[in-house]
Amino acid sequence: MRTMDVNEAVNQERSTGSSALGIGAAVAGWAIPGLGHLLLRQWGKALVYFLCVGGLACAGLAMRGGVFGGNSPDMFDRLGFFADLGTGGFYFLAHTLQSAGPDVAHASGDYGTRMFATAGMLNLLTVLEAYEIGRGRRA
Amino acid sequence: MNALFSGLTHFQALALFSLVVSATFAFLSKREAVERAKYFAWAFLAFLLVAIGIGWLMYPFSQ
Repeated sequence: MRTMDVNEAVNQERSTGSSALGIGAAVAGWAIPGLGHLLLRQWGKALVYFLCVGGLACAGLAMRGGVFGGNSPDMFDRLGFFADLGTGGFYFLAHTLQSAGPDVAHASGDYGTRMFATAGMLNLLTVLEAYEIGRGRRA
Repeated sequence: MNALFSGLTHFQALALFSLVVSATFAFLSKREAVERAKYFAWAFLAFLLVAIGIGWLMYPFSQ
């Protein structure tokens, strides 16, 4: 009986999601960290993800970390580009937010580069979660 | 904001990184508040201890 209840609950949970909702939440979450969860009415997670990803990205830029471009022939730079691109809107605002430009000759600039890339990777994880929640595969 | 963050020491930068990553991982992987708090504390301390430990292991090679 208990197993039946659990199965019903799982099926009901899955049926509430849709592919369009999942994709919409994922795109929104990528563009602005936390927005995907906000659309899915997960207020707490939305706030935490926005503060964590946005805070780490802004800290990385404020430390004058480098932002990778997409046209580099080096494979590691390309990987860095994809990691940076994960920050969504912060990637496109990077040059505006970082008025002084990057300075990776110092340790803080090097740390900033890693922090910005980490913010992108964290945001991609939150985007995957938003997609799963939107699809109804995860509560 | 630039002056605030560019003046961070190595340890402060490590602590900031650990704090943010631990909090995100806690919310991604745990559902209950108590579980999240435990996971956050454990991951945060592990980040700090492992980084400091590796730093000490590498110290002889810096001479």
